[in-house]
Amino acid sequence: MSNTTPLLELQNIGKYFGNVKALENVSTTVKAGEVTCVLGDNGAGKSTFIKIISGLHKPSTGKYLFEGHEVSFESPREARSLGIATVYQDLAMAPLMSVWRNFFLGSEPTKRFGPINLLDAKFARATAKEEMSKLGIDVRDVDQPVGTLSGGERQSVAIARAVYFGARVLILDEPTSALGVRQSDLVLGYVRAAAARNLGVILITHNPQHALPVGDRFLILNRGQSVGHFEKQDLTYERLIELMSGRVHAA
Amino acid sequence: MSEFDGLTPLKPSDERISYRSPLKRLLISPEIGALIGAVVVWAFFWGNGDKFGTAGSTANFLDVAAPLGIMAVAVSLLMIGGEFDLSAGVMTGASGVTIALMAKHFTDNGVSLFVCIPAAFLLAGCVGWWNGFLVNKTGLPSFIVTLGSFFVIKGSNLVFSKRINSLVNVSGIEKAEGYKFFKAVLGGENKFGDTKYRDVIFIVGGILFGVLLIGGFIEQSFLRSEQTSKPALLVAVLGAVAGVAGVMVLHRTDSVKGNVVAGVIGLSGSALAIVSYARARFQTRQPIIGSLPGSARSLIGLGLLGTAVASLAGQLFDRGEENVMLQWLPSWLRLAVAVAAGALPLWFFVRQVIRGDVEFRAKAMALIVVRLPIICLVSLIGIVALFQLTTVQAVRAVLITVAGTGAATCLYRARGIAGKHSTKYFINLGVLMSACFVVVAFAVRADSSAPRFRGGIFTSLLIGAALVLATTLIEAAQQKRTLADSNADRFGKRLVLIGMIIGSIALGTRLLFSDGVFRMSVFWWLFFTAVGSFVLTKTKYGNWIFAVGGNKDAARATGVPADKVKTALFMATSLLGAFVGAMILMRLNSVQAQQGDGQEFEYIIAAVVGGNLMTGGYGSVIGASLGALIMAVSKNGIPAAQWNQDGRFIFLGAVLLVAVLVNNFIRKKANEQR
Repeated sequence: MSNTTPLLELQNIGKYFGNVKALENVSTTVKAGEVTCVLGDNGAGKSTFIKIISGLHKPSTGKYLFEGHEVSFESPREARSLGIATVYQDLAMAPLMSVWRNFFLGSEPTKRFGPINLLDAKFARATAKEEMSKLGIDVRDVDQPVGTLSGGERQSVAIARAVYFGARVLILDEPTSALGVRQSDLVLGYVRAAAARNLGVILITHNPQHALPVGDRFLILNRGQSVGHFEKQDLTYERLIELMSGRVHAA
Repeated sequence: MSEFDGLTPLKPSDERISYRSPLKRLLISPEIGALIGAVVVWAFFWGNGDKFGTAGSTANFLDVAAPLGIMAVAVSLLMIGGEFDLSAGVMTGASGVTIALMAKHFTDNGVSLFVCIPAAFLLAGCVGWWNGFLVNKTGLPSFIVTLGSFFVIKGSNLVFSKRINSLVNVSGIEKAEGYKFFKAVLGGENKFGDTKYRDVIFIVGGILFGVLLIGGFIEQSFLRSEQTSKPALLVAVLGAVAGVAGVMVLHRTDSVKGNVVAGVIGLSGSALAIVSYARARFQTRQPIIGSLPGSARSLIGLGLLGTAVASLAGQLFDRGEENVMLQWLPSWLRLAVAVAAGALPLWFFVRQVIRGDVEFRAKAMALIVVRLPIICLVSLIGIVALFQLTTVQAVRAVLITVAGTGAATCLYRARGIAGKHSTKYFINLGVLMSACFVVVAFAVRADSSAPRFRGGIFTSLLIGAALVLATTLIEAAQQKRTLADSNADRFGKRLVLIGMIIGSIALGTRLLFSDGVFRMSVFWWLFFTAVGSFVLTKTKYGNWIFAVGGNKDAARATGVPADKVKTALFMATSLLGAFVGAMILMRLNSVQAQQGDGQEFEYIIAAVVGGNLMTGGYGSVIGASLGALIMAVSKNGIPAAQWNQDGRFIFLGAVLLVAVLVNNFIRKKANEQR
């Protein structure tokens, strides 16, 4: 993998809410074309961590570097304008609207027809289908309502949308938590496909079986503390389980 | 390196991908329930009173329905955006009161309407903005917020009209400046009441309709090509002109001889037009080549025999005889017989579908839309015929029906069998069947002395003949259709669509512009429906409206200015309320302060009947307009049918329930089957 400047670098990040330490001394890097997994059991501080990355919270201590420059986001909008896109569990989609309408929601393509700006539905349909097939997603019909898609397909639409609209860092918040085995496999495939298009991906999960096959780098959190940061070759499944359950600390 | 590298992600299995037929697409659209409802309710009252039979009274009640229709457009947009406006009804009154009071009382000579009406719009814009602002700021349900606005406006209407005008009724705006202009624009009658224009539009539209329809069918048919030969096209146009001229003369002539001459001209002209057009764009698609099986031959023989019997039936009985027959049969038995005869051809069709092999059954189901009208037509003839069982004429009618139905069924079966073996015979049999329809049509027209029956059956049979011809050509083309063929057929589909639009316009012109009663309100109704539907489906703002109603957080997260969209929708509703208020004022020249009070629920009901989801995020403007039409028809139809007036609420409630249930059912079916 590349040895150039990482897309994101977080150094010794900490977050305090009053006298509650939500997060302390956490570091990781995200490189283009790689998947960084953030693992931890419930309450380990995963959510706080992604909220800091996506610009919703400001870190209390530590450094947040984007392409080597230190940044401090006032709002998620600023993070988004740099290409840091977050796909939340609730997915930001209207279930009764068609796939293509959801895909282009908020950034609709238009074409001029005399004095009127028309919605370019033909382009939108074709592009939505094409962009999704680039990630290996085969939607039967882009005209069907998103509500009729399966959970994995819905995730895939959200991922494809983020990729199309210029995301450089893609944060996925528990994308497989509500899915069955087969659907999870599908989504993990899309995660890999997104990374293959030179995006930096941050995958948040509490399922080591999902993280291990797709991740290049692993950050394991427990009770707000980093209990280990590994490259793929340094980690085994058994070790990962031990670390997550909090029975051992990394050397 | 990850073990996922180099692997393509799993693909969803392909068996779930299926072509969605136009019928299914239609069923998924939210307006379908309302469309069916409108047709059914209209037909119901048409049969139960004469109010809906005439064009003049239709235009009249459409005028009354227009305010509801216009408001339903705005309210449905707002509902799709996830909100309600209970102040929409009294807003119409507020607008009327504002305009009337200003025009009469603000200065000694009154204020020009060019000032009053914009002032009313300004007021409405402020009310709408305020509603939107409060809903957005507080996050309270719009039911509560606009309920507050409702009471404030309702009170203001009464207080101001009483204090300034000392009456709750403000009238006498005729003297205001600009009255003539606004009367013409908002409340005026049409200037095309002159039948001269109306007939020209109707005839030209009707001709265009026919030509485009036939052209479109041929474009999709077995006979078409990329190259056009001009001489043949010219012949086709001449033939079409002759055909239309012949049919027109036919409908104005009563003598049997004239009928025959005009009929022959019309028929041969039409045939010439169709054949020449087909030649002009001639191309044979890959046909199935084979010989005709024996079973088809005997069916053809039976079919031709039936046609002959049906055609000659009239000659066997005295044309002048109108004596009453069969009175000894109790009326319920006559009815039962009539229904049975009508159901017979339908049963043939159903049985054919059930018994056919799987492939054939699938195809038959797919084409059910095209075939069903023909079968129903024949059934209808049976029912009409048997209701006349009391006279000698009726015997003829029965003979014609039974023999004709039998002939049509035989030929249809023969065509089906032939279709599996040879495209050529399939087309030939389609043409033969169509020709038999025409022969029976002329026989009936010449023989029957009941004018209404005669005219109805004649026209139905001719339309049936055209349908058979068209479907034969299309089905033949679809037997071995390549992707390129399917793409080429798009032009034909467009022609048919344009033809149907023009045909509806022509028919609408005939209907609306009769007796000089068509008012501007109906035009505005159509206009706002078109604009609303356009905005909703064809612009990005429509996308935003759907999203704001469907999932507001999602809309916001993706950068949609959700609050602005909602405020704009509230303002649009109030502004249209002001428009409707001005329209009613200009129509009646006076305004009641209580006007529109309680109407807000009717707007909402119209929108719901039209397939709009009360929770937002789904719906259609055209559906809401149709919902308003259903309500107007019910409202006007009940007194016209001379039923108890109070019963209309029962009817309205039933309509609402049925519409919502049907919509719900259709939406569920449509979504789960994919």
